[in-house]
Order: sequence, then C-alpha cells, then structure tokens
Amino acid sequence: MSVISVPPSRSLPRPALPRSARALGLEFKRNAVPYVLPLLAAAFYFNTVRTADGYPPVWTLRASAIPNDMLFEFSVFAAGLAAWVGSREGRRKTADLVATTPRAAWARLTVALAGTLCWLLLAFLAGVAVLYIQTALEATWGGPPLWPVFVGAAGVTVVTVIGFTAGVFFPGRFTAPLAAILVVVINQVGFREALNTTTGGGARLLPSPPASAPYALLSPATSPPLVDAGVYYHVAPDVAITQVMFMGGIAVALFGVLGLAPELRELASVFGRKSRRAAFARSDGWLLRAVTVILIACGVAASATAFALAGTARLNAATGGWEIPALHSAASDQPAPFTPDCTGGSAFQVCVHPAFGFYLSDVAAALDPVGAEIAGLPGAPVRAEEVASVRGGLAVMGGYSGNPPVFQFTAEHVGTMFGEFNGIPDPAGWRQAFGQAMLGGFLIAPAPQTAPSRPAGTGPVPGLVPTPAQQAVVNGLLIAVGSQPSLNTSLIGESGKPDAATWDAISAAAQRFARHSAGARHAWLASHLAALRAGTITVAQIP
Amino acid sequence: MTAPSVLKSPAAPAGTTRVVAAGLRLTWLHLRTRRVPAGIVALAACGGLLHAALHYHWEFNSGPYAQQVPMIIEAGAAAVIAVTAHSPFGEAERATGRWLPYLRLLTAVALAGLAIGLLQLGVTGETLNEGVLVLARNVIGFTGLGLACSLVTGGLLAWTLPLGYMLFCQYALLELWRAPWAWPVRPAADRGAWICASAVFALGLLLFTIRGPRTRLSDNG
Repeated sequence: MSVISVPPSRSLPRPALPRSARALGLEFKRNAVPYVLPLLAAAFYFNTVRTADGYPPVWTLRASAIPNDMLFEFSVFAAGLAAWVGSREGRRKTADLVATTPRAAWARLTVALAGTLCWLLLAFLAGVAVLYIQTALEATWGGPPLWPVFVGAAGVTVVTVIGFTAGVFFPGRFTAPLAAILVVVINQVGFREALNTTTGGGARLLPSPPASAPYALLSPATSPPLVDAGVYYHVAPDVAITQVMFMGGIAVALFGVLGLAPELRELASVFGRKSRRAAFARSDGWLLRAVTVILIACGVAASATAFALAGTARLNAATGGWEIPALHSAASDQPAPFTPDCTGGSAFQVCVHPAFGFYLSDVAAALDPVGAEIAGLPGAPVRAEEVASVRGGLAVMGGYSGNPPVFQFTAEHVGTMFGEFNGIPDPAGWRQAFGQAMLGGFLIAPAPQTAPSRPAGTGPVPGLVPTPAQQAVVNGLLIAVGSQPSLNTSLIGESGKPDAATWDAISAAAQRFARHSAGARHAWLASHLAALRAGTITVAQIP
Repeated sequence: MTAPSVLKSPAAPAGTTRVVAAGLRLTWLHLRTRRVPAGIVALAACGGLLHAALHYHWEFNSGPYAQQVPMIIEAGAAAVIAVTAHSPFGEAERATGRWLPYLRLLTAVALAGLAIGLLQLGVTGETLNEGVLVLARNVIGFTGLGLACSLVTGGLLAWTLPLGYMLFCQYALLELWRAPWAWPVRPAADRGAWICASAVFALGLLLFTIRGPRTRLSDNG
C-alpha cells in the first residue's frame, strides 16, 4: 500500500468550541471542588438529611432544611474553595505572566469563577433533589416549594463570589480557611438575629415583631417554620424574594469589583511608587470599566432596595407569616383548598388535613377508645378534627367548638401540650396527650346545655386546670384505655404540682375508677357529670 | 601562621554559638517557608473574631447553641495551623537533612499552643461557654485532624477536614450526642472526649512528623 492509496479519513472535523467554552471546560475539569465532594456529601447527610428526616413529611417544613442547614454546610466549602481558586494566580505567582495574554483579566477570572460556581450549584441541586425525592416518597399532600431552592442557590452563589473575591484580592494560603470561617460566622450571626424575630427565640414558634426593624429577615437561616406552615395557607414569597434580591445584589456588585481587580491590585502594590494615573492607564479598556461600574451600581442598588424592603415587613394576621407590602399579593392570603382525610366505620370520626394523612390512623387509634368511653354523654364530642395552628396571628391551642361539639387539635398542639409530631418520638406519650386533651376539655369545660360551647382557644387555654376529682376521672379513663398517666403529663401539674398526698389520692381514685366495667363508668359519668364539671365532687366520692 | 595553629580546633564556646546560631537560622527559615509569621497573624485574627463574637453577643448565652460560634472559630484556628504544613520545596526538601521531622513537630506543637493562647486572649474580659478547657481540647483535636488531612491532600487543602468535621459537630451539638468521638460537643470534664481528642492530635502529629504533608497534587485547582 502506498501513501497515495491510503483512503482519506472519513471522520468529520470536530466543530471547534468557542474559546470561552473550552476554557470553561478546562476549568470544570481541573477544579478542586470534586475532591471535596465526598466530604460535602457526608456533611450533607449528617446535617441536612438527618435533620429533615426528623421533620414530618410536610413540604414546607422539610424544604426549610435547605436554607437552614444545607446552606450552612455549603457555605464553608463554597467560600473556602472559591477563595482557593480565586487566589490561584497570586498563589502561583503567575499574575504577571497571564497579564500578557490578550484576554481581559475579568474574562479569565469569570471563567475560573464560573467553573467553581457550576460545580457547587450542581452539588447543591443534587442535594435538593435527594431531599425532595425523599419527601415526595413520604408526603401525602402538596408539592415541592421552589423559593427555598432559589434562596439556597442565591446563598451558594453569593458565598462563592465572596470567597472568590477574597482570594483574588488577598491571595495567600490562609485566605481559604479564613474566608470559610468568616462566612460561617456571618451565617450564624444572621441566624441568631433571625431567631429574635420569633417569640421566645425557640423553634417552631410564631413570628413576632422584633424590637427593631426586621432586617434580620434577610438572613436565610432561621428557626424551622410551624409544622403546618404552607398547609392551610400558601407561604407568601415576599421574604424569599427579598433575600434573593439582597444576596444577588451583593454577588453582582462583587462580580463587578472583580472587573476592577487588576487596577485595584496595582493601585495597592504601586502605592507611593507610581502615580494612580499610571495604574489606571493600563486598564482593559474604558468599555469594560464602564460595565463593571454599572454592575457594581446595580448590585448595590438591588441590595439596598432589598434591605429597605425588609424594613417594611409586617406580620400577616391571616397566615401568621411575614409580608412585605410592596411585594405582597393578596391572593396568597386565601386559604388553600383541601378535602380532609377522615376515618370511617366507627361512630367517632377523626379528620386530619391531607398533608398529615400519614398519622391519621395513629390519631384515630389514640382518640377512638377515649371517644367510646364518653360517647352519648352530654357535651361529648362527635368528631375530632385538625385545624390550623394559627388564627388571626395567634397560636391556636385546640379545644371544643360547635354544637354538636367537635374536638379540635392542631399540628402543633393537643390541648395545652406541644404536639411532638416531629417523628412521634414517644408514641405512648403522644397518644396520652390526645386522650388527655379531649377528656380534659370535656370534663373541665362547662356543659353545653348551661353555657355556649367554648371555641377553640388561642394562647394558653384558661380554665383547664382540673380539680383533683376531675383529674382522677381523666386518669381513670386513660388507664381504662391502656395509657399510663403520670404527674408530669397531667393537666393538674400545669398550675403547680399538687402535694404528694393529693397526688396519691388522685392515683388511688383513678385506679379504683378504672377497675369498673365500661358500662359502670359510663353510668356513673352520666349521673355525676354536671357535678363533676362544677367541681363539687371530691376524690373520695369517686367509686 | 603555622600549620598547627590552623589545624587547632576552635574553642568550644565559639562552636556552640555557631551551632546555636545555625539552628536558630534553620528554624527561622523553616518557619518562614511555612508562612508561620503570617499564620500567627491569622491566629490572632481568629482570637479577635472570638473576642468580637463574645463581646457583641453573636453567640447564644447558654444551651447547645452557645458552643456553635466558638467551635467554628476553634476549627478555623486549627485549619490555619494545618495550612502551615505546606512546603514550597516539595520532596526535594526531604533530602536536606535529619532535622526536618523535628522542625515539623516543633512547629505544629508550638502553633497549637499559640492558637490556644491567642484564642484565650480573645476571651479576656468575656465569658466563654464551657471555658478554656473545651477550647483547648477542640483546638488540639481539630489540629490533629488537619495535620492528618495534610498527608492526603497536601498542606494547602488541609483545612477541609477540620472544617468538615466542624460541620458534623454542629449537628451533633444540637442533637446532644454523647459519643466520645464527637468530642467538641462534650463538656470539659468528659474524660472520653479528652482521650479521643488527644489521640487524634497525637496520631495526626505523629504521622505528620514522620511522613510530612503530601507534596504532589496539593496545588491543584
């Protein structure tokens, strides 16, 4: 075979990628982020996934782990690695070498920043996908909220740009760890300030107007929302929009500052040796400089606007959440339509919101036996239903409402007790809380024939402090249905613990009452209910 | 000058002085190549940050949240120490003599002690939750992790493991974990936590002293 006989290659020439795309591809290939992904994945699993697992499968609650937990762990590595990449030219002392290339320094830095940011955002979105797929497999109602994802993505972006800028301007081996911890400390400071916008600073409490303007709302990290946030009312995106605008503005402004990096660095290095004019003379062009100045101005304006908007935030009385008047849509204040999930087949019906359908059978198992004990008695509930945790901007504690009476509870509280619905850590205590709340409201509240039925209360329920006899009957009925009431969980313990002799008398009477047959208990209650409610029966009179 | 006078060994005091001077110079050069002076400034900055956090109440006064910000700063100080492990000379430096492991050991131990001192200086006039003992335990434990990490990643990326473990500990802190290997979340009197932190420090220090940080791939990215 001669050279002439060799057939020409049939493969088509590969289309050449634009230079920027090739540079980005190289940056993507050689980036340091993939080396740290296993560590980031481990932190994500232990912090975010396990925290979200502890929440009930309600979309808004589970999604709150994105800005609260996920952003925290991403901040460390995003800031550190971006600072590492940003300091590359300075660290390798190649700044003068690459300055001779025809491309503008800004283009070079943009490619390095974009490669790092792409990796981090990909990792972030992969984490969001894991979280949302897991929730989708367990949730019984609703769909994935997108605003927490936008807030998280904006947070990762701004932290990356902050770290990168720090690396460009302070290239050194210590820049990466220092940038990482500084960003995390800022995150924690924001978290602490944000907690001040909730009553008592605890988790899962209602927001309350802070002493100063609510600028802390700009912090993405805050306490988890109410268990039923976004269930009865849609979550207004006002605060999320403000946060994205604030963080996006900072990112854009810093990106603009990167365009002035060569001039600023030269200014710093030649200060006192050359004129400032000379430093500006070796610029990448006036057009580029004008673009950077416009970007800085736009970024600062966006952040300042977001800051000002956050200052106008106020509590929405209907939903209990924050609203920003300039961004608020009245449509989001309308209740979300739903059809409750109810049990059938027994006289006592239990209904929950479909978002909490996963524990309907548990609630029914807790309430059905108690309902059977008091069925047919005057004022006995015919139904139990779950209602919103917030009404008129106040926490709803549950109680009795309507005629015939309906026992109402919320996803946050059963009676005066905290619901502990987050994964139902103590099934026996959880079941007892339901039974006790229903019996307490039934036996302690005035009879519906003599007074209007008490609506579902707000705040601590007044008048739910039982007499020893009332507590003994409640405990007796609970023992009869298989619960083990204790002083710590009893209603009477909420207004100061009774002395030991009183508690012993209550326990003895309860055991006595529980030993009777169901028919005998029911008959005694039917004949003594009015007196028991009036508080004229003593412990000794309980059979 | 005669030959015997030239061959005569110098007086002992002069020789000792020369050895000491050479040793000091070698130590100083070692410290400079590791950017230790800048590292001390960075540690001082960590102390200043801790002081600001305590003074302006950036952290919570009590409860599990109270340890969050101090732990972040302690991990940051340890990360700074770990980053000083990087040598600009790479493998070639290992052929220069027998003093290198000792210099590595002394540098790491001195910086850990200095970090504890500077952070404690930052606490002056303020109240640190759990006190200086937990601070010291956290610094040495995180430093051990960082030194061990430098064997794998090289000195420049050795900050990743201490900060990654700190993230894990933030979760353990809020979950009130009691395992000794989650030493940063344990109280000062917890013996198991001290044993774990000291063991990690000793192991990291030993490996770092003997092997030194990884010198290839450390400057990727």
